[in-house]
Amino acid sequence: MILEPIVPTVLAVRRLPAASPALLAAYGADPARHVSLGLVTCDQDDATYVALDEATKHAPVDVVFARSFYAGAAHASGRLSGEILGVLAAAEPQAIEDGLEALLRCLAHDACFYDADGKRGVTVFPHVIGSLGHYLAAEAGLAVGEPMAYLVAPPLEATIGLDAALKAAAVRAVRIVAPPTETNFACAWLTGEAPGDLAACEAAAEAYAAAVVEVAGGGAGAGGR
Amino acid sequence: MELSATIRGVAYRFDSVKDVLARANPPKSGDDLAGVSARDAVERVAARAVLADLTLAELREHPVVPYEADELTRVVEDELDAAAFKAVAHLTVGQFREWLLDGATTGATMRAVAAGLTPEMAAAACKLMSNLDLMTVGAKAEVVVRANGTLGLPGRLSSRVQPNHPTDDVEGILASTREGLAYGCGDAVIGVNPATDSAESTAAILRALDDLLRRNEVPTQHCVLSHVTVQLRALQLGCPMDLMFQSLAGTEAANRAFGIDVALLDEAWATMKAKTSNRGPNVMYFETGQGSALSSQAHHGADQVTLEARCYGLARRYRPFLVNTVVGFIGPEYLEDGAQISRAALEDHFMGKLLGLPMGCDACFTYHASMGQDELESLKVLLGAAGCCYLMSLPVGDDIMLNYQSTSFHDIPTVRRLLGKRPTPEFDAWLAARGIADGATPGPRFGDVEVLR
Amino acid sequence: MSRTRALMTALRARLGAAEPLAPPPPLPRVEAPPARVYTPRREASRFAAEAARHTTALVGIGHVGTRYATDVVLQFQAELAVAHAAVAAELPDDWAEAQGMVPVRSRVADHREFLLRPDLGRRLDDASLARLRQRAPRGADVQIIVADGLSAVACQGAGKALAEALRAACQARGLTVGALVGAKFARVWLEDEIGQELDARVAAILLGERPGLGTGDGLSAYLVYAPRIGKTDGDRNMMSNIHARGTPPAQAAARLAALAQAMIAQGTSGVTLDLAQVDGGAELGVGYRAPQVRQRLVEHGGGGGAGGAGGAGGGGRRR
Repeated sequence: MILEPIVPTVLAVRRLPAASPALLAAYGADPARHVSLGLVTCDQDDATYVALDEATKHAPVDVVFARSFYAGAAHASGRLSGEILGVLAAAEPQAIEDGLEALLRCLAHDACFYDADGKRGVTVFPHVIGSLGHYLAAEAGLAVGEPMAYLVAPPLEATIGLDAALKAAAVRAVRIVAPPTETNFACAWLTGEAPGDLAACEAAAEAYAAAVVEVAGGGAGAGGR
Repeated sequence: MELSATIRGVAYRFDSVKDVLARANPPKSGDDLAGVSARDAVERVAARAVLADLTLAELREHPVVPYEADELTRVVEDELDAAAFKAVAHLTVGQFREWLLDGATTGATMRAVAAGLTPEMAAAACKLMSNLDLMTVGAKAEVVVRANGTLGLPGRLSSRVQPNHPTDDVEGILASTREGLAYGCGDAVIGVNPATDSAESTAAILRALDDLLRRNEVPTQHCVLSHVTVQLRALQLGCPMDLMFQSLAGTEAANRAFGIDVALLDEAWATMKAKTSNRGPNVMYFETGQGSALSSQAHHGADQVTLEARCYGLARRYRPFLVNTVVGFIGPEYLEDGAQISRAALEDHFMGKLLGLPMGCDACFTYHASMGQDELESLKVLLGAAGCCYLMSLPVGDDIMLNYQSTSFHDIPTVRRLLGKRPTPEFDAWLAARGIADGATPGPRFGDVEVLR
Repeated sequence: MSRTRALMTALRARLGAAEPLAPPPPLPRVEAPPARVYTPRREASRFAAEAARHTTALVGIGHVGTRYATDVVLQFQAELAVAHAAVAAELPDDWAEAQGMVPVRSRVADHREFLLRPDLGRRLDDASLARLRQRAPRGADVQIIVADGLSAVACQGAGKALAEALRAACQARGLTVGALVGAKFARVWLEDEIGQELDARVAAILLGERPGLGTGDGLSAYLVYAPRIGKTDGDRNMMSNIHARGTPPAQAAARLAALAQAMIAQGTSGVTLDLAQVDGGAELGVGYRAPQVRQRLVEHGGGGGAGGAGGAGGGGRRR
């Protein structure tokens, strides 16, 4: 079914209540402030980036590490690898616990790819974040609490989708990642030209999804050379 | 213990647990013949209401044939697993039905309590269940056994080739067997009902089947369904025998009419464990069917569903490789028409599986029952969907010796294809290697007997 | 609900593509005539021809997908119809008398009751009991009963011939034989009451067996030593498939007479009878092997004259 949510599969959730300082340092944590780690792998990297950010809004945690794996979940190195490893760090285990709870809730009920052609041959990630947490706010160079459209699709579809999104509303690009990403997609982050313009982000995400569906369907107007 | 119920102001009282069990049965001509059935549909429901409130512990205390009077009751009582029984003893039959249907109750859970259940408990749950209830639970209950092949795995549907011949002509038997194998049938057993019940004839048929199966490296097992005493003599003649067969009935007296008792079956099992030509560990094959006890006036006033369950209570003592209910064979005096035969097939499959047996079914009718070919074909699909381990298979379903209509060589691959089922893994690989089948679909050599030498 | 999910649900509805049907795949071109024509293949395969020498089982019939060819379906339905007709047939009330037998009937009132109440088919009605006492001599070694059982057609066909062959075979062995009794609506165990009443040492009931596909002419014989009401199946010895394609009546009679004599000699019957001690047991245990031919019941068109159930066989074995 077109635009049916494809709910991400969480492949592993592990906790290190008192991680080795060397490990903490190697994964970007600060041994002075961080003691506990929470690790998660999932078969959708972008949904996980959003979910990691969600965790920072609900618990005193930092996202110290989050990397996509080359070529995506279909080419994972192991049964538990998926296409991303995300690491939360905190001063104590309960914070990790609270962060993971928010993260998993977001993966189960909010952030996900959508089927763009009814056969899952093309998928799209037209996600709207109402209010950024400190992880993605820092990554995007925006203030915490700003809205942002987080848009991902395969290279061709993403290019046409992004053009449609930028023309559909008063938005500006804060980051455009031309293809290929590690997982061979293309990505763009947009926010309102006016601060706090959530409606503009929503209009852009909608236009992006509609354009990707249209390209993926190969319908009239898109099928010619 | 309360044995009465009221429906629309009318009170119904019952004499005994046996009476409640009998009157709770759906209509069967055999229960009418025995004079134990409910007077009408309302009394039937009243009996079910009473039954639903009895606990499994109460059922254990009231077997339909007393301990002192019947060795089957003694076998069940003496061998009941105390821990498994304790886990469910407090449940009422109504709660037990719900527990069985509960999505959280898996096949493994059911296997764990099977050894603590008496046949009366299985029969009681059966009486509170609709056909889809019976199928739902039957499909969950996996029972896996092994001889040369592994029977009863999920997603599998096996079949017996039944190449009977009115004069035991070995060439005729082999012709039907080759045809059946070429259609992908025969992974449960190649089983011949002999016309002549002699050790020599039994041995001759077994040797011929053994040659055929060895020559073609067919991973299945053979059996000649003569009386157990005849098979024991045939073993003394030194013939190969993968499975030993016997018909069972639900009371000691009815088994005496079959010329068997527990001691004889014990001897047969012990002999077979030592002498079987199969890889094991399961070596026995039993057939049952509602109505057999009444036909020898040995039913003790009990209904035929409960007596059928008691056959399974005995059969499980011998960890059989195959048990099947020959559901429509005994005739319209026990199961009058297609509806009764279909119901009985699903009941027997459910009860046997619940008691831990690898149940198959001979879905069949005799020509004097009111059942048509279309109804029989529908029943095969129901059984396949209910997880039945195996069905029979004969040329066009016609038994030229026993004169009745069963499942055909063509029906087995048809049902497998419809339901996405496959034969035993060993046989599956053999069929693929010979080009007869490719998983659940026919292969290039499907139906070609020249595949077999 | 998540903001993005709500957005996408609304978008899906607005696109009007909530459940867009994929364009149907193009239909294949079918050339006329169809590439494969399913003609009835009348000539038998090598395997079918070889098998037909040994069995009437329908093997070598081929398949369409996993199902039967139309011709096979029609033959099969015709055979089923013949079997059902044989079950429905009733023994005429005056048959036994006309054959010179002592006529008796069970307590069964009509044909449906006969099918549903075997208990009534095992006991004589009062008039029959009186007639038996009046007309049949007592104390024979072997009491022979001819009965309809589940095929009046078989009983009327070879019942009397088998009974007379059995009588002759018994007498040749020096056994005395009682008057032939002809029974209607009879079950196997009716022999117990008749044998008990006539004080016979062995009772032998010859009765029509359940019809098979396309046939209704098979007889079975059940023998019991010291017949009494209350004997069970384990007390009996039986022989089935007595008909031209199974064991022919003459050979069956010889075997049954030997069985009766062994019962009297050993003073028992059923599972306790030692079959190894039966005269000619090993040899007689092997079935007769007549050429096995299955009649073709359906011929298309009216010219064959062999299409009916009573026909003498059409084009031989089906494919």
